[in-house]
Amino acid sequence: MSGGLPSEAYAAALAGLRGMTLRRLAALLRHHAPADAWAVACGERPAEGMAQQIVADREVRESWAKSARETSPEEVWARCVAIGAQVLLPGSPGYPALLLDDPLAPPVLFARGDLGVLHGRRAAMVGTRNCTAAGREAARRIATGLAAAGVQVVSGLARGIDGVAHHAVLAAEGPGRPVGIVASGLDVVYPREHRDLWEAVANCGLLLTEAPPGTAPEAFRFPLRNRIVAALSEVVVVVESRERGGSLITATEALDRGIPLMAVPGHPSSRAAAGTNALLRDGAAPAIDVDDVLTCLALEPLRRVDQPGDPRPRPRRDDAAVYDALRSQPRTIDGVALACGLSLVDAAMRLARLEHAGWVAETDGWFECVGSPLR
Amino acid sequence: MLAAVRSATVVGVEGRLVTVEVHVANGLPAFQIVGLPDEACRESRDRVRAAVLSSGLAWPTSRVTVNLAPSNQRKGGSGLDLPIAVGFLAASGQLPVEALEGLGFVGELGLDGSMRGVAGTAPMVMAMQPARPVVAVAGFREAQGVVGDSVRVATTLREVVDALNAEAPWPAPPDDEFVDDEPPPPDLADVRGQASARLAMEVAVAGGHHLLLVGPPGSGKTMLAQRIPGLLPPLDAETALAATMVHSAAGVRLPPGGLVRRAPFRAPHHSSSMVSLVGGGSTTLRPGEISIAHGGVLFLDELGEFAPTVLDGLRQPLEEGVIRLARARVSASLPSRFMLVAATNPCPCGGGAPGSCECDDGARLRYLRRLSGPLLDRFDLRVGVQRPDVDDLLAVGGGEPTAVVAARVADARLRSVERIGMLAGAIPAGRIDELAPLDLAARTLLRTELEADHLTGRGYHRVRRVARTLADLDGEHELVTEEQVAMALRMRVRLGVTSRGRAA
Repeated sequence: MSGGLPSEAYAAALAGLRGMTLRRLAALLRHHAPADAWAVACGERPAEGMAQQIVADREVRESWAKSARETSPEEVWARCVAIGAQVLLPGSPGYPALLLDDPLAPPVLFARGDLGVLHGRRAAMVGTRNCTAAGREAARRIATGLAAAGVQVVSGLARGIDGVAHHAVLAAEGPGRPVGIVASGLDVVYPREHRDLWEAVANCGLLLTEAPPGTAPEAFRFPLRNRIVAALSEVVVVVESRERGGSLITATEALDRGIPLMAVPGHPSSRAAAGTNALLRDGAAPAIDVDDVLTCLALEPLRRVDQPGDPRPRPRRDDAAVYDALRSQPRTIDGVALACGLSLVDAAMRLARLEHAGWVAETDGWFECVGSPLR
Repeated sequence: MLAAVRSATVVGVEGRLVTVEVHVANGLPAFQIVGLPDEACRESRDRVRAAVLSSGLAWPTSRVTVNLAPSNQRKGGSGLDLPIAVGFLAASGQLPVEALEGLGFVGELGLDGSMRGVAGTAPMVMAMQPARPVVAVAGFREAQGVVGDSVRVATTLREVVDALNAEAPWPAPPDDEFVDDEPPPPDLADVRGQASARLAMEVAVAGGHHLLLVGPPGSGKTMLAQRIPGLLPPLDAETALAATMVHSAAGVRLPPGGLVRRAPFRAPHHSSSMVSLVGGGSTTLRPGEISIAHGGVLFLDELGEFAPTVLDGLRQPLEEGVIRLARARVSASLPSRFMLVAATNPCPCGGGAPGSCECDDGARLRYLRRLSGPLLDRFDLRVGVQRPDVDDLLAVGGGEPTAVVAARVADARLRSVERIGMLAGAIPAGRIDELAPLDLAARTLLRTELEADHLTGRGYHRVRRVARTLADLDGEHELVTEEQVAMALRMRVRLGVTSRGRAA
């Protein structure tokens, strides 16, 4: 055991052991100083308190001892330093005060970026990975507005809604900052196409995880990650969610913590909105635009000057009929032609004009309305 | 005694003339075949001997040597049974040698002396010209398609011998010829809804574009594809002959009359091997599905399930219209100018309306990666097919029948050939401005699409070709209009991992 290592190094190394769970780690660190806890995990020291029961399990003891031989606190610490990760223990300066009283407080956190952003106002934006164009648009609009109003946007950096929200926050360049809570190690980018987004979030805002560097994005870590998303936010906005999904876990975590829950309404026939619509029925507040979220945070709604009028040219009258047909549900070109009684060529012309003006978007041959509705 | 008989074998889709020389001499009784016969050919010794004896003819105890000339070429197949038997009978003095003058023989023999048809009769008869072919009844249609009425048919070896000995006239050919027993291809009128897929098929046939149908299972992709041959015009004389040769060489049944006039439709299963698709084999180089589809449609259902190497093997024939097969001893060029129609799901779960896909991006990526980019590039048309609306299914009466659409297609093809000498699908990228000029509005629309990054360079050319075909279908248009470009843009479903993926 070398003397020069900070106690965070031992906690970080403990978190990476095989067979280490959140509760076991919490119990170990509650009863021992991190360096002693490491010795317990290595089998070099008897455990105390609750930890005795954990160590009594032979399987746990052996898997800890085995994986402790394969790594060392020095190595883990060097890796944290190399990627610029701060290691936070409850009680150490910088550990988010919001999490201290959490029923399942992270025993150790790894952070990149500015921890100070957590002192500002915070709203979580979460949603499905299989989002529709409408969902993406709603996420972008709300996130842009929140950033402009100086609200930090907390999200999970997943594909779909999460990614869109953070992209929008970065693009808005407002006072609001992105806060990304991820499930893997800070040096294991997942999904890989979000590499640039990770970097940008770490540079402009805060990137946070409870997994030590090198941890793979294992499936069980995502629901746990969601509890931190909820715990760090003052309000959770679910943009699009299916009848089951990770964003509904975040919603439940928010409810457990008494954090207000909002949902963006979707069309009843849209599968991507099934979960959010169910949340609304169960009493979540509707988030139709950013002002709803700001009101919930007891902030002033954005002034009109901050929300420029729709720059898109209004559709011509015969194009508007096509737009109306698409308002209720996405349709294929066949569907549009049938619904509007048009020939295919006419439908194609009108869709081309609407798409060019930015009123509709095409995905896999389906057309959807995007942006704020035509009033 | 010596006799020489004219016959032929087939390599690829070409007949090669073979002279069967038979020498019968005194010596230790033996029967040998030399001149590189393959297994089936060597076995003909036993068939010929049995057939000769069963036909009531004599097999004297003598030394029989058969040479297949030219003797450096490998010969395959059982079609040499009849010429060997006839040659033996002539050499052993049971037939007058002069009677063989001007005749060519092709046919397999049964042990009872009956004659059977063989694959490749048409190209073999072609190679034996100007000799009058003598074939089995089963080969009559094929031979007739090539040389007309000069074909002699027989059902047994005995009949051949009697005719050659002038003891009986040649048997009359069967006269079932013009009974068209082929079921007509299914009709487009059966298809409910699917307006854009119908239009895409019309465009594909009118412009000679390859077509990819993308849609969830049960949306009717296969049903649509089966109706494409009905839209294709009948084969021209040259293609019909080439198609007949291929069908015959591959042993695919020919229509009555012996000529393949209707565009073929081939739909090999996705487990098909490379050789079955492009052709091959060690001696005969049997034509593959792409050659059998010559002049017609090759339909690959579940494109993503085909082995990637098999699909890549299609690229060169798609480009050149012929497939050149080479093996250590033989090589051959086979015709393979076909219209490729393929169907695929957008992702493993089948997809559907936005937000309803079950697949994660990794699964989608793996699925789409099986369709190699260069192959996808060959499809000018990629249209989405969706399950038809309930209203469509319940609607009274179907859509337009095949005959109406086929007439429009024929007009458009004629117009295109008259105007630029080719179909729009064949316009090379370099000549697209010259052969398919745009009007001002169309140019503007394409420019905005390119600027919005919705279209790549390759996609741009595809859209212009398709728009040109739409203009041909529409009537006399010198310039392609905005409407036609807008429609062409919609016939190009994006196959990407994320919805933001660009269309290549």
